[in-house]
Amino acid sequence: MPEGKFCNKKPVETEEELKALLGDTGGKEYYEEMKSLDVDSDLLWKTIQNTLKSRLKTWLEICAHCGMCADSCFLYLINNRDPKQVPAYKIQSTLGEIVKRQGKVDNDFMHMVMETAWAKCTCCNRCGMYCPHGIDMGIMFGYLRGLLYQQGFVPWELKIGAGMHRVYRAQMDVTDEDFVETFEWMVEEYEEDYLGLEVPVDKEDADIMYTVNAREVKHYPEDLAEAAILFYLAGENWTVPSKGWEQTSLAMFAGDWAACKLQVESVYAAMERLRPKRMVGTECGHAHRATVVEGPYWAGRESGQPPAPSIHYVEWLAEALREGKLKIDPAKRLKRPVTLQDSCNYVRNHGLKDVAREIMSYIVEPGYFKEMAPNKEHNYCCGGGGGFNGIGLYRPQRNQALITKRDQILSTGADLVIAPCHNCWDAIRDLEEEYKIGIEWSFLKPLVISMVEIPEHIKPQE
Amino acid sequence: MFKKILFATSATEATDHAARVAFNMAQAYDAQISIFHVLGVPTRGYSQVVLDVKTKEKVVLDDEYIAWVEEEIKVHYTKQLETAEKTEIKVAIGFPHREILRAAREWKPDLIVMGGSTGENEDSVYKKSMVGSTLQRVAKVAPCPVLVVNRPAASFWGGMSNIVFGTDFSKASDAAFKFAIKLAKSLSCELHIFHALDIGNVHTGRILTQDEIETKIRESIRRIRGRYLPDMGGIDDYNFEVWEGIPYIEVVKYARENHADLIVMAHHTQKTSGEDTRLGSNIEQVIVRAGCPVISINR
Repeated sequence: MPEGKFCNKKPVETEEELKALLGDTGGKEYYEEMKSLDVDSDLLWKTIQNTLKSRLKTWLEICAHCGMCADSCFLYLINNRDPKQVPAYKIQSTLGEIVKRQGKVDNDFMHMVMETAWAKCTCCNRCGMYCPHGIDMGIMFGYLRGLLYQQGFVPWELKIGAGMHRVYRAQMDVTDEDFVETFEWMVEEYEEDYLGLEVPVDKEDADIMYTVNAREVKHYPEDLAEAAILFYLAGENWTVPSKGWEQTSLAMFAGDWAACKLQVESVYAAMERLRPKRMVGTECGHAHRATVVEGPYWAGRESGQPPAPSIHYVEWLAEALREGKLKIDPAKRLKRPVTLQDSCNYVRNHGLKDVAREIMSYIVEPGYFKEMAPNKEHNYCCGGGGGFNGIGLYRPQRNQALITKRDQILSTGADLVIAPCHNCWDAIRDLEEEYKIGIEWSFLKPLVISMVEIPEHIKPQE
Repeated sequence: MFKKILFATSATEATDHAARVAFNMAQAYDAQISIFHVLGVPTRGYSQVVLDVKTKEKVVLDDEYIAWVEEEIKVHYTKQLETAEKTEIKVAIGFPHREILRAAREWKPDLIVMGGSTGENEDSVYKKSMVGSTLQRVAKVAPCPVLVVNRPAASFWGGMSNIVFGTDFSKASDAAFKFAIKLAKSLSCELHIFHALDIGNVHTGRILTQDEIETKIRESIRRIRGRYLPDMGGIDDYNFEVWEGIPYIEVVKYARENHADLIVMAHHTQKTSGEDTRLGSNIEQVIVRAGCPVISINR
């Protein structure tokens, strides 16, 4: 059977298709169909010829098989140093092989490639820092995922995730109306605690346009309220767009290049419509990578930049604290051992290690901040990056992958892990659930709110 | 007064006392009752997997599973559903406090009924990734009064006739007073306005003499009279009382001795995260200890 009902080469385009696919519990039928899904070798080879550019070609060619990348990969280390987990092997035996065979590979081979691309690499890009030639296997796997997606060899949840972006322009079934209504609801809940609190929707020419992760809207909208409170306390002139508010991109994890473009263009359109001075994104790593770092290229922007200067939440928060827009009550600083999870997507890949630490210096009592080892750009992936967290099929591998972070946290002695990234936050929550090491985990917003000074005119009366 | 009751339940024994009160009230006041259950808490990032609140197992959600949970709820409440007329069962996925509040915002009930804390059970799925109890979070911002039944409501027989309104003279208490008045009027209840003089208060820094205590009691009685009596037209059966002690203990004692079938108190807006997550405030202690339902008002 070439194309299945659920598992095929066609992306999910409508709500009905999305619901049907969701109805296939756990992707049971989907994966069954995948077993007989044909590989369109001509399409595969043609796509490679059109899209495999000089950088990736060179990387495939010049790899000296020196093995320096092995120890850089936490998945190699945590899986008993299995040679099949060496980054160079992982990419050479998959993408390298497909190129060598000019796309003439079979179904079994594609199954192996799919597992390698989603369960043996989180696209954390750590190997790229240790390769003497600077070969970044994470980037190559990102590319390989695109080839797999085109052929229909993609984990069930990610086919759904990419479909969500196509249908809702959000990673979950959250409509634009849901977003605005939820944000307003949250402000209503908190306006008695913070007099004058509001959410300015679609305000033109504001200083800040704020974008979020749909999961905040769907499951923990307190996060939206917290963002509003901190912008308000800092006296910012800010707004949220009623359309183009979703910063994340499961399409990027899925390798659905067309959906990546659609999604990021919706955010850029909001920037062009509202003309904010800057865009600030929420505490999410991959959202930053998708919208700020890679997005401009997906959208074909020659500048390589989004329409408005765009920064991560940690950059805004560090600035607000540095400039005194937000003042911390020193008595309320954290006085317990605290550690920080560096998100690969904006620390290793976008250089924000110092601002993240600057925030620690304001909110943690001196002496209580404990660095993980290694840290900053050398930090390990949380164990759930690149889509790994959400894929049921690879859950055992993901749980194994969490051990690295578990042990890193344990050796800091910290009982609170600050994780300003949704993916890391999830992975750390899951590792506590899986291994019960007695830690708490938090985003920055609730912590800052618990210690920030509130001006008299904003405090509730009585 | 109570036409729409949102009964938020874990559909376990922990909420059985609350169920009895909710269904009795629905019957007594001819109210619609919506049985609302959050069946699972999201896990695995963006995936479809949730942690089932009962089995604590990870399950992949689909319509079949949801239908099965609805059936389980029906079975759990078989007896109550026989007598109740206007009922519906709704299940949701998400963090319980948030989904209860979402349901309340959409359905606009006159009252939310909940069981007490699911306990200190560390394993409770409800506690995942959130600090503070579901109850605290709902009571803090609910758009309507929240009625909580933590212990068997021994003196509750399906209607309300004897209400204790506990006040600390705060602005929040004024809102609770308004509700208590409305309730007492429309259900023709006896109304007790009660204040407890906090003598354990460390802020005073010294031990009060009995004379001082009694002076303060008299002052408080006058304060009750001045603050509340003008708005109590139409209520014949009332009583003002001030006792000294630890406030929440005194409220519970007073309610017990007067065979109250309901306590009404204000829920002060306060932080639900951070260090003060233990049931600390007076109303929360009253909820835990009272032998009758407690209604919490926040606005």
